[in-house]
Amino acid sequence: MASFAAISGSLEDETPSLSGAISLILAPSNLGLRPNENGSQPGAWRAPQVLMNAGLAAAVSATDVLSLKRPAYELEAQFGTTIRNGLSIRAFSFELGEKVHEVLRSGRFPLVVGGDCSILLGCLYGARLAGGRGLVHIDGHSDFFHPGNYDTANRLSSAAGMDLALASGRGELLLTHWLEIGRPLVQDADVVQVGERDAEGPDFNESYGDIVRTGIMQITIQGVLAEGVDNTARRVLTRLESRELDNVWLHVDCDVLDQTVMPAVDSPGRPGFNFQQLGILINELCHSGRIVGADFTIYDPERDPHGKYSKLLVDCIARGISNRRLEWGPAQ
Amino acid sequence: MNPQLLNSLLADGPAPGMTKEVDLFGRLNGRWRTLITYFPLDGPERREEGEWTFGYALEGRAVIDVWQVPPRAQLGGANGTSSHECGLCVRVYDPRLKLWRFTFHGPVLGVTIDMLAFAVGSDIVQERFYGGRCERWIFSDISHERFFWRSVLSTDGGVSWRLTQTIEARREM
Repeated sequence: MASFAAISGSLEDETPSLSGAISLILAPSNLGLRPNENGSQPGAWRAPQVLMNAGLAAAVSATDVLSLKRPAYELEAQFGTTIRNGLSIRAFSFELGEKVHEVLRSGRFPLVVGGDCSILLGCLYGARLAGGRGLVHIDGHSDFFHPGNYDTANRLSSAAGMDLALASGRGELLLTHWLEIGRPLVQDADVVQVGERDAEGPDFNESYGDIVRTGIMQITIQGVLAEGVDNTARRVLTRLESRELDNVWLHVDCDVLDQTVMPAVDSPGRPGFNFQQLGILINELCHSGRIVGADFTIYDPERDPHGKYSKLLVDCIARGISNRRLEWGPAQ
Repeated sequence: MNPQLLNSLLADGPAPGMTKEVDLFGRLNGRWRTLITYFPLDGPERREEGEWTFGYALEGRAVIDVWQVPPRAQLGGANGTSSHECGLCVRVYDPRLKLWRFTFHGPVLGVTIDMLAFAVGSDIVQERFYGGRCERWIFSDISHERFFWRSVLSTDGGVSWRLTQTIEARREM
């Protein structure tokens, strides 16, 4: 397998001892979510600090922590876009992308903590700048809303429900066309979506059922639970191998967990993983050496007033990435 | 005519340090003769001649243009011809977002249009979403002597596009 450093070709001056070490990037953005039922801002922006307080940095043995400033959330439409906070998401994506790029160039593993799913765009942008390719999208929803399947005429759309569509180049140029990269951030055939829970429901075709007519590989949560996590991991890795994807980004939306074990998310549901199953899946993917960075999103501490789920999530993340193989390192 | 306003508004070139970005549109600086073709849904296509004048503005951070149909030389005079269309476009580069904010004011037709603009390959693409539609204004084949412009509209989220207008522009000065 090719080393990431060899592909990015940019590590000659970096310190070898940092190779594969984890850099935490805190991305406290809630820009991609609609307001709460009472009109207030969603609380997912608080997750990075709450998870840090729950011991995340020590649990993953992070060597450094990079914090982005919380972006301002606007309730009203922004100039020139029908996407809520669209301009702000673009700006935040550039900031985040630069951090991810910087960490990857140094040979370290960026572990990005959101925030909502719109942070995926900045993560992928940074990964692409560093020579990465491909996406494993673990999420209880496909997040595949785009103007071809969604009513953009009468309401603002929310990027957290569109992140996979935007990443694969569907939707406004504002969030699909990126400096130095162009469009898309990831090709359909280089995406594996794992965890959609509504694909077998009657309304799926009416929402973003068109995902099944794309080149995106999808394994529903029902499929995962039927075949087992180990088999799912093998199927995902087989796909990555067949596409020669050695430098893949991993996106994990915590709503892929069953609502009985993780209700503190924007859109809880079931069926879903338990913490152990999710940890095993991430672990097996990371152990392959094909995953170069990851983001974890959508945990909302305001829905977890007693902090019951933050420690469980920290343990799951740590278990998931602890066994990663360090395929990349300073170029020889 | 207020020369002080013109001096304050217009600029000789792009702002220092922003040449590459501002010259995405700045290279259109000058006056262009235009041949405009309209493709209405409910009638035959029709053609008109016009004039399009671009210039740097706001200390070189913006590019503005004045759009006119027919050309100014055909306006006024004994027959009292007035513009069928005239408009002011203001484009301001946003270095943080790495895009252009664009507003068109068309007082004859009573329209105001907001768009965002991007460099897409060798083209410039301006885009807006409204009423469930996506509209793009695309500058292409840009050289010092000429460029081509077209407007396309999609009502299915970008799956298919309908050509609504084209402009062939030749530099006059």
